[in-house]
Amino acid sequence: MNGAQHILEAFHRHNISTVFGYPGGCIMPLYDALVDDVGVEHVLCRHEQACALAADGYARASGQIGVCIATSGPGATNLITGVANAYMDSTPMLVITGQVPSGLIGTDAFQETDILGMTLGIVKHNYLVDDANALPAIMEQAITLAKSGRPGPVWIDIPKNMLLAEVTTPALKTAPEPEADCPDIARAISLLRAAKKPLLYSGGGVSLAGAEDRFRAFAKAAAMPGVVTLKGIGNPGKNNPYNLGMLGMHGSRAANKAVDECDLLLVVGARLDDRATGKLDTFAPNARLIHIDADSAEINKLRPADLAMRGDLNAILAAMTQAIAEEPLAIHDWQKQCKTWHTTGGFQAADNEESLAPIAGPAFIRQLSRIAPDDTVIACDVGQHQMWVAQHYEFAHPRHHLTSGGLGTMGFGLPAAIGAQFADRNSTVINVTGDGSFMMNAQELATIRRYNLPLKLIILDNQCLGMVRQQQELFYNNRESHINLDDNPDFVAMARAFDIPALFIERTDQIRRGIETILAYKGPMLLHVAISREENVWPIVKPGGSNKEMIDETRRTSTNSKEQVA
Amino acid sequence: MSPQADSSMPSYTLNCRMNQEAAALERLCRVVRVRGFRISRMTMESAGAHLDIALTLEGSRSVSMLQSQLEKLHTVAEVAVVQSAGVRAVS
Repeated sequence: MNGAQHILEAFHRHNISTVFGYPGGCIMPLYDALVDDVGVEHVLCRHEQACALAADGYARASGQIGVCIATSGPGATNLITGVANAYMDSTPMLVITGQVPSGLIGTDAFQETDILGMTLGIVKHNYLVDDANALPAIMEQAITLAKSGRPGPVWIDIPKNMLLAEVTTPALKTAPEPEADCPDIARAISLLRAAKKPLLYSGGGVSLAGAEDRFRAFAKAAAMPGVVTLKGIGNPGKNNPYNLGMLGMHGSRAANKAVDECDLLLVVGARLDDRATGKLDTFAPNARLIHIDADSAEINKLRPADLAMRGDLNAILAAMTQAIAEEPLAIHDWQKQCKTWHTTGGFQAADNEESLAPIAGPAFIRQLSRIAPDDTVIACDVGQHQMWVAQHYEFAHPRHHLTSGGLGTMGFGLPAAIGAQFADRNSTVINVTGDGSFMMNAQELATIRRYNLPLKLIILDNQCLGMVRQQQELFYNNRESHINLDDNPDFVAMARAFDIPALFIERTDQIRRGIETILAYKGPMLLHVAISREENVWPIVKPGGSNKEMIDETRRTSTNSKEQVA
Repeated sequence: MSPQADSSMPSYTLNCRMNQEAAALERLCRVVRVRGFRISRMTMESAGAHLDIALTLEGSRSVSMLQSQLEKLHTVAEVAVVQSAGVRAVS
């Protein structure tokens, strides 16, 4: 068995049945081995960046490891954005690249790049295989490492001669799981009971740990008001009476107000990133902080914790649920206050289904949320539409919301949707994108057609880079600079060129029919939605500013409109 | 490696044990740089399957945070802050 065959053997051992890749010179031995392997479905995307992003989407939607493959040189460098995206959002991913033969490394050979050196900062770990007999152990270690603790991408760069060499050592070595600290549950409960205004703050770590059920059980037992980060959307489930929604730069007034007023913040699986906290020294100024996370390096990184609990979220939340259930928290006034804030300062959008008015992004997303099935997976791109989805779409589960949170990768949505569709061929998957983002990986329409994926594409087209335009308007004296996209192609004709049917709508009264038509269609379909160029995402906090200083549609600061939520 | 020291910065000495591998020093130095520290002195000895590295660092951020980030590296076996010199007096 040669090195390439050992890689496939490791896939089988770990139940990896779908991989995303693009062949080329130095990875050809692996593609040769794939010819004889019927147990691994290889999905050919049309750009290596899309391979990595599709693997990311597959992993997010399924909870399994995502795998992408490319050749050396440009194949490998094209993967980098997708792998950085996975790193920033802690997606478990295995990356396999071919490398020039060992003897040519360092000679500036054709398609040689030092991909190990280039990717040090965007992987959990990486390897350059210099001994074919080490490959089985490296594969085992890499897959385990990618999935364990705080997940992330692990990259194996393999010289072509190592893929071809006979491997004589089947011995496997599994990396040990890091031991969890012993969490101080009693102290956490004591701090919670002492608080008058405790607030639950949850992020993407909940679903990364597969701890959604435990989280909901705890939230229900504690009956604490809660806020979510962009990646924590869906953690509380639909219709949770204590969920105040997303906090941060485009968070709700209610969520940011509750953070500002709380006296204890219970952070679960979140890293207190700057888009969520705003200016750190004004963030939750009155709160003690309990921080639960799988990654000890996140604790005390940006805000000192009064109590740190590193370890498996499932175990910690189960223990806390049991302890808190013995006696409910006495926070009735706080619950009532938060509910009032949510009523007056939650996300709102006017919608009048019969109107002939131009389509507003938030109203469209609200209708989509009402019409689409509960288990629909929405893969967003990056920009205004992404924030409208975060604000106005009600998610039943965090794995239904695929969004590029940390890296903010335009072009993420379409390949991520492809990955999610491969994770479950029968699920409803919708890529909600903008006209800017769509064009970043539009070549993947060919992948949709090739595999006849039934996924739906919705382009909210404002003929500009809307989020950049919005910030130029608000923070750069309305000096628009290189955001105009009014020479976009005809997206309907473009989809049809890939043999994908498409519709165009531009009036509010067309929204329902447009959504219902694409959802009812059995195959892939694109809905091109014209929206106003001038529409902004509200509210907004100036980058680097305090979450207390939210700007709303009337461009008044929260100080001026404090009475709205207070 | 001994660039001119910045007397306004706190200084630390870290001992680090890493597995022997091709990119060991690059991994270590990259994390030190990205997390806001400057290496003013560095020594390294090979010890069987390990590398023992002593770093003298300057930086205004929390050295315990740097320690946590270094400990996350898969090939790092141990990191210890052995000396925290504080801000040196300006002569």
